[in-house]
Amino acid sequence: MSALHRFLRTPEADAGALLLAALFAMALSAPLLFPGDPQAIAGPALLPPFQDWSLPLGTDRLGRDVLAELFHGARTSLAVGLAAAAAALAIGAVIGTLAGFAGGFIDEVLMRITDAFQTVPAFLLALAFVSVVGPSLGVVVAAIALGTWTGPARVARAEVLSIRERDYVASARAVGMHPLEIAFREVLPNALPPVLALSSVIVAAAILTEAALSFLGLGDPNRVTWGGMIAEGRAVLRTAPFLSIVPGIALVLTVLGVYLTGEGIVETTAVRRGLS
Amino acid sequence: MTALASIRGLTVGYRRDGNEVAALKDVRLDVEAGERLAIIGESGSGKSTLALAIAGLLPASAKITGRIDWTMPKSQTSRSFAPPSVLPDISPTRGEIGGFAAGSAPATLAAGESGHDSTISPQVGEMSGRTEGGAVERQLRHLRGGVPLLGRDIGFVFQDPSSSLDPVMPVGKQIAEVARAHLGLSWPQAFNKARILLERVRLPDPGLALRAFPHQLSGGQKQRVAIAAAIAAGPKLLIADEATSALDTIVQAEIVTLIRQLVAEDGMTLLFISHDIALAAELADRIAVFRHGSLVELGPTAQIVGAPAHPYTRALLDAHIGLDAEPLLTRSGLRA
Amino acid sequence: MSLLAVSNLTKRYRRGGKAVAAADDVSFHIDPGETLALAGPSGSGKSTIARLVLRLIEPDAGRIAFEGEDFMALGGAALRARRARLQMVFQDPLAAFNPRATVARVLDDPLRIHRIASRSERPRQIAALLERVGLTADLAPRAIHEISGGQRQRVAIARAIATKPSLIVLDEAVSALDVSVRGQILDLLLDLQRQERIAYLFISHDLGIVRAIAHRVILLDAGRIAEAGDARAVIDAPRSVIGKALVAAAPRLDRSRS
Repeated sequence: MSALHRFLRTPEADAGALLLAALFAMALSAPLLFPGDPQAIAGPALLPPFQDWSLPLGTDRLGRDVLAELFHGARTSLAVGLAAAAAALAIGAVIGTLAGFAGGFIDEVLMRITDAFQTVPAFLLALAFVSVVGPSLGVVVAAIALGTWTGPARVARAEVLSIRERDYVASARAVGMHPLEIAFREVLPNALPPVLALSSVIVAAAILTEAALSFLGLGDPNRVTWGGMIAEGRAVLRTAPFLSIVPGIALVLTVLGVYLTGEGIVETTAVRRGLS
Repeated sequence: MTALASIRGLTVGYRRDGNEVAALKDVRLDVEAGERLAIIGESGSGKSTLALAIAGLLPASAKITGRIDWTMPKSQTSRSFAPPSVLPDISPTRGEIGGFAAGSAPATLAAGESGHDSTISPQVGEMSGRTEGGAVERQLRHLRGGVPLLGRDIGFVFQDPSSSLDPVMPVGKQIAEVARAHLGLSWPQAFNKARILLERVRLPDPGLALRAFPHQLSGGQKQRVAIAAAIAAGPKLLIADEATSALDTIVQAEIVTLIRQLVAEDGMTLLFISHDIALAAELADRIAVFRHGSLVELGPTAQIVGAPAHPYTRALLDAHIGLDAEPLLTRSGLRA
Repeated sequence: MSLLAVSNLTKRYRRGGKAVAAADDVSFHIDPGETLALAGPSGSGKSTIARLVLRLIEPDAGRIAFEGEDFMALGGAALRARRARLQMVFQDPLAAFNPRATVARVLDDPLRIHRIASRSERPRQIAALLERVGLTADLAPRAIHEISGGQRQRVAIARAIATKPSLIVLDEAVSALDVSVRGQILDLLLDLQRQERIAYLFISHDLGIVRAIAHRVILLDAGRIAEAGDARAVIDAPRSVIGKALVAAAPRLDRSRS
């Protein structure tokens, strides 16, 4: 039985995969379904949902199409979430591997740096970074990665500490392999599974952090974001609550989808390990 | 001699990557009451699968056909107890065997058996459908008194004592738990029993060892503790599955001596699973040689070692490099 | 001159606050093409000494001279280059290889690292190595975990001889194998020794095998040398306490009875 088959047999994974598939479909189809600028005015201001079928989810205060914004916002959420998580996992895995494999002074220095990053709340770090450097998509990704690489680093280091005592590492040393090659070719790939298990949590956290930054007006101003939409809707929360509720629901479903998929993957691999 | 366990047509298969791998093929073997029987084989011979099948420890995913009939004197206690933590709970497989016994007919008495011995004999010669055995197993929990129960009627010693002992529980408690669960003793009585058992397995300073954790003991000492736990409830059958393979030669010899002594003192039947035919020959009355899941030869030790009938047995004996073996160096001509 | 000369090697570990000597003032030498066995009960320090000789762990004190050179003075790239001459085969061939590795990759490593063959030549060299240890070249693309234990240990030996070493440390290299496979692997090792004049440092707890394949033996007890000498002479008539205990504990197969 293939891993994919097993994956699809867990109900969490089914639900998660469905939500994520919908999200990806939204992100990919956005430029096709809504080719113009989603921030352009499309109709009368503050049109409630389900009134005009050319604007199914209504319009915001400036008369922009909420559905178009939602679709384009999915692109930002997904791009930032995945990019930030990939960056955090890569930085964390490399630093954790170096610290665990080198040991001694290098380990000490790298782990104290990790401590320093971990003691500052990730969101404040991201906030400070974006306020100083200025908001753009790349900066937001960097800011989020900056606060989240410590978890993967610790997990990777713990795993490497146990792997470096294995015979195959001794065997690689005995054959004369360079320490860096041992660290990144022999040790790191075998230390990755528990690190990757963190990825769903990190992707979900990154999406939420991005939304929070945008809500505070620190998102990329040239892009539609769900956080920005919620912030926008806040001013008219009493008269037009749908402006905050629609992107809010999208955010909740996205994070749920990421978590459930991660859960499904963990369960699938756990079953596989249990069998072997 | 009476057969304690009579194995007929036992076939066990595992599913691996979608393929069925036969671990045991149509095994017919009697374990005589009171004997020391060695099961010998190389990796893949099915020797450990046989041990697990007899102990009822095969995983639920294993596909089993055949039967194991037991002739076991009734235990003094027939209460059902919580399974001890040091020994895994009895598996549905074992339950199934008893399930048929209960479901098909009242325990039959084998000819020549005295009335107080109960024979548990499945009338239906198969144990299929055990994967959906949930219901059967639950029904069985009431019947445990008559079925050989792992921990009470069967003691099992695994190869690696560090993984069969609970690392965070003092060893005395682990032994006492078995005695408490199966003999119905109170905690103080059970601890007293554990102390006596630790003395019997010759642990230095049993009083101190009672409170020791597994990591504070050496490999040989841990295996002694595992043996103490295995015999705590006074089982009729002791199964040692490669119990000395992880130990060095000196400790191995000590453990073998200990097992021989305990088996003689308690009148237990011994099933000694090993890859080492020389070691088995020192301990066993009979030797069963397994290869690729089949029994290739069975006989008294002297006959197996002195006059093996099967070429594979002969090959195993020839492969043994003892202290009197002709040095390979002279044969290869390197030694000047 | 001897191939390997070890003098006053000492290594202590802290265990539960106490310093335990895994190697205590150990000195020995190995001649080219010779098999020296280190035997002893578990905890006697034989595996530690094997790893000290290879400098996989660093000693607290002592000197190692290998091929007439101060092996302890080497570091970094010089040490890595020198490792080509001094190889190791581990007890459990499954644990000694990266779980993701294929046979080809395992054999490619030494050829690539020590620049023994160019990239295009390597597949041919790998095939030759496999054939040298009694395997077929079509095994190369297989994953390590797919092949049998005996095949794995042959691959481990092929990896060790790829760099044409003068000394191979065999750490319980046949202990985990089935008896029928064990004989074949011992024959292969002896054949290699005869053809290539490779010396072996043979670590084992099994005196029967030591007596059968080693020229000389050192019996270790708690990190110290208890007894040393001609393998057959020592094992046939041990004088040390540990030697007597080891010989007494070895299982005997009396095939004359019945």
